[in-house]
Amino acid sequence: MNQWLDERLHISRLNDKFLRKAFPVHHSFFLGEITLFSLIILILTGILLALSYEPSNSLVVNSFDPGSADKPNLIPAAYHSALKINAMPFGDMLRRIHHWTANIMVAAAVIHMMRVYFTGAFKKPREINWWVGMLLLIFTAFTAVTGYALPYDNYAYNTLKVIYSIAASLPWVGEWVSQAAFAGKFPGDGLIPRVYGYHIMLLPGILLALTAAHMLIMIKQKHTQPQYAKRIAYKKIVGVPLMTQQTPIMLALTLVFAGIIVLFSAFIPVHPVEFFGPPSTTPINNIKPDWYLLWVFGVLAIIPSFEIEILGGVINSEFVGAIVVPTLAILAMFAVPMLDRSRDNLYYAENPTNYPVRLGAGVAFMALLIVWSVAGYKPELISAGILSNTNANAVLWIATFLIPALSYFAVQAIVRGIRSLRESDARDRAAFQAADD
Amino acid sequence: MTRYKRQDPEITRRKFINVAMGTTAAVGGVSLLSTLGAANPIFRLTANKMPPQAGDILVHAQESKEGQPIRIADLGTQLVRAWPQGKDENGEPVIRKGDPNNILALYRFPKGQIVAPTNLDATIDGETVAYSDICTHAGCSVGDSDINAGEMKCPCHSGQYDPKRGCIVVGGPPPRALAQLPIKLEGDNLVVTGFFLTYPYPYATEAEWESIKKEVEAART
Ligand code: FES
Repeated sequence: MNQWLDERLHISRLNDKFLRKAFPVHHSFFLGEITLFSLIILILTGILLALSYEPSNSLVVNSFDPGSADKPNLIPAAYHSALKINAMPFGDMLRRIHHWTANIMVAAAVIHMMRVYFTGAFKKPREINWWVGMLLLIFTAFTAVTGYALPYDNYAYNTLKVIYSIAASLPWVGEWVSQAAFAGKFPGDGLIPRVYGYHIMLLPGILLALTAAHMLIMIKQKHTQPQYAKRIAYKKIVGVPLMTQQTPIMLALTLVFAGIIVLFSAFIPVHPVEFFGPPSTTPINNIKPDWYLLWVFGVLAIIPSFEIEILGGVINSEFVGAIVVPTLAILAMFAVPMLDRSRDNLYYAENPTNYPVRLGAGVAFMALLIVWSVAGYKPELISAGILSNTNANAVLWIATFLIPALSYFAVQAIVRGIRSLRESDARDRAAFQAADD
Repeated sequence: MTRYKRQDPEITRRKFINVAMGTTAAVGGVSLLSTLGAANPIFRLTANKMPPQAGDILVHAQESKEGQPIRIADLGTQLVRAWPQGKDENGEPVIRKGDPNNILALYRFPKGQIVAPTNLDATIDGETVAYSDICTHAGCSVGDSDINAGEMKCPCHSGQYDPKRGCIVVGGPPPRALAQLPIKLEGDNLVVTGFFLTYPYPYATEAEWESIKKEVEAART
């Protein structure tokens, strides 16, 4: 049979080209795989959810609590179907798995990028894949956010409202853009069908295409090799082939990973739609975006209010906080490979401590995002008495500059410490060897 | 370098094909873009989506009492949410909640506490005042502050407003004060006497607000 297939599909070529691709043996190389598995689990659970979900925000009678004939209890169909999903066997579990996996996918992607950044794996020839990876990160965030909107409870409603108005805050074109993106003035009748289209068709399509490109480029360019490979066989590719050695490792990883997600989902509820209730005009106290967007939220919380009108376009604090600042941060990440001027192709993952500036800059950048995320908790910090209403903004702004700078210099100091230790080790070894001879 | 470049009098076939393909791609791309226009549906200003206007009465927005007219006695220093209720084309009462940005915040403070820049003429006896309850920042519904009593706090990005001083921004990112709505007492009902005094959310400029006001006026006559 093998031969029959081979004559038609040239399996052996496929085998040579793809299935024998060598995977480096190092745990940090699993992060990308975890991201990929998450995507697969998300698609599978997403399909199951889509089978029972009703993408519409028109009002229907709540079948769980119909009210009276003259005053029926009307709720949006999407919200109603979320309640129904919760009521079906394992329905709530399905939603939780989908939700948890989404969080883990973003987390794994972020850590995967940190690994790539700190070991210099973005350098020539892998710049393109860094950029594809950035796009993946951005579209993953979009997919996650549109997913949030679908249960259409009060939380989703408020989130959507903020997203709509962020889009509308673009000077000149904002109104048109947000109406085109969200099917008319908020909340238009077509709102949920539109977001549903994004979440299950457009964005997953983009994600799959980008993932395919990401992996093809990776197979073409090969992984960076971990340091030990240099000692074993210089300039040779060291690792285990996809077929058959890496596959069982991957399968084991998938199973463990799926098990962890199911455990999480069994014990830690996420997004209880019943608790938030259908969309209403009652604000939700302390509403927060997910952790990976908290930094944008934090910027918005500490940015002072202003509004400038230029030629009929309005530039306000919302536009600067929610669009300009994140765009700058993302551009900085896009620019990472261009800051590197090496001419040679990179074979081996670099030791981060040999590149103190890069290491420091990366840590400072993360520190900045953490400070801003903490700023997202401004109201809580004030309520808890840690900051006061009058000094909160000043303190958080000072931290915005001070903490990244401090972490940069702390990294430099630590790196210097590590180096001097390493050098004295080398001296000792040399002395020892000399004595030995 | 350019001095030695061969000057080709004729356009080469390659160049021709490139230009032709480029033009086709550009034209095709632009025409595909035009389909994006379909993404933006038309908007019809129906009675339930109009902003509050003269003659509307204020009714409770809170779920358990929704639609009941608000009485002065229902109000106090805690925020009470209200919808404007007007008449549709057939003269039937209609709650204008088709536009959720119409939600209103009502307060009643002891005499003398409400000061400028609140427009006192637009309040009832200098005690009862109505504002748009939609944060001018990103459109969340604003509630009573749990940090500073007597202030309002927007839960979304912690914008803060002072309802005794014309709902000016006292903290956070909102760019403008909440818009004040002029009201009066007529019998037991709270009645709106005109449009918001300044432009409310979601309008980004005075001009946009003026044009919607004109549209409403036109629809009324
Ligand atoms: S929406 Fe109110 S502060 Fe942002």
